[in-house]
Amino acid sequence: MSQDLVPVTQTAPAPPPERQLVFTPPIDIFETDAGLVLLADLPGVTSETLELQVQDNKLTLFGRVSPQVPAEARLLHQEYQVGHFLRSFILSDEVDHERISARLNQGVLEVVLPRVQRGEPRRIPIATD
Amino acid sequence: MAVFRWGQPWVPFQDLEREVDRLLSSVSLGFPGIRFGRQYPAVNLYEVENELHLTAELPGVKGDELEITVADGILTIRGRRVGPEGISDDRYRRQERPRGNWQRSFQLPERVLEDQLAAEFTNGVLKIRLPRAPVPRPRQIKVVDGNSSSSPEV
Repeated sequence: MSQDLVPVTQTAPAPPPERQLVFTPPIDIFETDAGLVLLADLPGVTSETLELQVQDNKLTLFGRVSPQVPAEARLLHQEYQVGHFLRSFILSDEVDHERISARLNQGVLEVVLPRVQRGEPRRIPIATD
Repeated sequence: MAVFRWGQPWVPFQDLEREVDRLLSSVSLGFPGIRFGRQYPAVNLYEVENELHLTAELPGVKGDELEITVADGILTIRGRRVGPEGISDDRYRRQERPRGNWQRSFQLPERVLEDQLAAEFTNGVLKIRLPRAPVPRPRQIKVVDGNSSSSPEV
């Protein structure tokens, strides 16, 4: 009997994941004396639904939003769409990864990226005989 | 010998795709508004049971810099968003977030209880609830049977 025609037990295909739009949020990046500050518009995202992670030299933000209206709401007029937010950034070596801090306020994420503190030049005393 | 590993080479394409998506979405959504002749902020209007819900995304607008007024059937929302204080423009490496003063007015549909408008502003999303006034009940006009009084003579 040929082994070529052994039927493969077909499992039911998984239901497609609920299609949710993902947007790239607009950002600002500016320099301060201490380093860089990143601002991102994430309306509808809370601190519980925001994931911010640094891996290697890549900073990734992913914010989930919940529906703005109840499920039974009927759309009468639409000018914008609601979706999650995703964006990644490459961090330069000048950013101190360990001291990155972030806070979220009224739908705006602020990430503070401090510059690496270079050690003060150390004077080496020279002994004289 | 593997020349390159699968998966890795496509990462830049994903970024490119995402960037193109962002550009396309900015065209179709009219964000940041003025550039594409669309009004800011964009709003959605929903019907929820006996209310209309007007929603708008206004991240970073402070509650005291947001003004909602209603008069003569016109709903007006007005506000401003300012950048961080003390940061001169030459310190920006990227500036994509819209800022400045904005205002938008809407003609309210008939039969909205203007004095019962309620607004909530959470996580940068504004929602204005407009309760609908109850539809006046149709007045029944009693029809008097005219046969008895003025029936035409046969």
